[in-house]
Amino acid sequence: MTTKTVELIAGPPEPHYVGDGFRVHNFIPSGFRLDMQRMNPFIMMDYNSKFYFSPSEKPRGVGVHPHRGFETVTIAYQGKVEHHDSGGGGGVIGQGDIQWMTAAGGVLHKEFHEKEWSKKGGDFQMVQLWINLPAKDKMSTPKYQAIKNENINRYSIENNGGEIEVIAGEHKGIKGTASTFTPIHMFNVKLKKGVETDFSLPANFNTSLLVVEGSIVVNGSEEAPTNNFVLMANDGENFTVKAVEDAVVLILSGEPIDEPIAAHGPFVMNTRQELIQAFDDFNKGKFGYLED
Amino acid sequence: MNNFTLSTFLTSNLQVDETTISLIVDHCKTKTIGQGDYLLRQGEYCKHSFFVETGLLRQYSIDAKGKEHILHFAPESWILTDRESVYFNQPSNYFIQALEPTRVALIDEQFIEQLSEKVPSFIDFNNKLLHNHIRHLQNRINQLLSATAEERYLDFIKMYPDILLRVPQIMVASYLGITPESLSRIRKELAYKNFKK
Repeated sequence: MTTKTVELIAGPPEPHYVGDGFRVHNFIPSGFRLDMQRMNPFIMMDYNSKFYFSPSEKPRGVGVHPHRGFETVTIAYQGKVEHHDSGGGGGVIGQGDIQWMTAAGGVLHKEFHEKEWSKKGGDFQMVQLWINLPAKDKMSTPKYQAIKNENINRYSIENNGGEIEVIAGEHKGIKGTASTFTPIHMFNVKLKKGVETDFSLPANFNTSLLVVEGSIVVNGSEEAPTNNFVLMANDGENFTVKAVEDAVVLILSGEPIDEPIAAHGPFVMNTRQELIQAFDDFNKGKFGYLED
Repeated sequence: MNNFTLSTFLTSNLQVDETTISLIVDHCKTKTIGQGDYLLRQGEYCKHSFFVETGLLRQYSIDAKGKEHILHFAPESWILTDRESVYFNQPSNYFIQALEPTRVALIDEQFIEQLSEKVPSFIDFNNKLLHNHIRHLQNRINQLLSATAEERYLDFIKMYPDILLRVPQIMVASYLGITPESLSRIRKELAYKNFKK
């Protein structure tokens, strides 16, 4: 077993708005070091770092839009989001919850700050990921996994040093709560100041850390402050994370899907022809209908 | 799909090598503008044809009541201009505005002359582009006079497959000459017809 070293530590890029409700730093895909293939199967990561939204009677968010060919995963750290889709589904996720939507063959959905939360306003902090699907599952039936925080399986760190929420995959015998189409590990790591813990993830799995709260040191020497993204090299398995102050870190690790990626707008397919088909199907109402 | 230079456009449509094209295209200026910025405003003289390398433009007019009417959208690899202003030297009746951050190549008369001289096949190609444009306008007039709103919508998505995801629906409605409510209804009816759970 060898050390998985740090390949890159990136600060948050200039934020931009998605709709009027998500002020995000786009870490993936951004530039050649973090294109869709580099963190494949994690092909998109928007990070809404902690941001205060003032009270609003009209909930802010993103109106009706389609997706096809992948999964969207929203991890709520602070604030509440309400979503609806063309299949008649919907729900609210709050602090610590996760919405895992398999868009697959196609959905229309919209996401807004939850009505009552919006009226009060407050700090808002979320991660949205797009996780690619293998060709054989791209056109499968859409589904949801609404994962409440209390249902996430946890690994407790000794001496009350913190805990690891195993959202997907496995960590030291604790199985993840979400089901995935390809091998993926997703952990929310909550560490008390000074605590160090270790991870072992396959060398070929594309792996990254996002420092959501506090600051950390990776492998004893690589410092990553709040809102930084740490890309791990594919050179080994083992690495350590130490909290310089109380910290929350999102760890993503996944086996790359060895297939071509054809992406445009909200569709991620394997070929250009499939993309053209996706636009045509969307335009002709084959994704269903959802009121704005 | 999101970045298409003028050189690529010309070399993929003409029997010509890249060196010859780059000698001419290198003299052609490009302009980068932000979302919401204008390349042309009503009353100004249009000096160029705009080849969209990346981004999205719209050409529109504003009527006496202040209502906007969209004539064209121009995504990547489209050429947009006010021909009345450029070729007949009239103040323009139109606005040309970027709906996304946009980079255009500025095509002027000198560029057309140089290209026609160095690459004779361009003359035929340019003619074809012009006739293509006239055909498009002819279809558009005929459709506005005779086709149902749904037929116009179906034609629109054929011509502009990704525009619905790039602009507010109110602009698509403006292009089609219908209200946003009618567009919504058409899309809803199509979904009921085509959506299989």
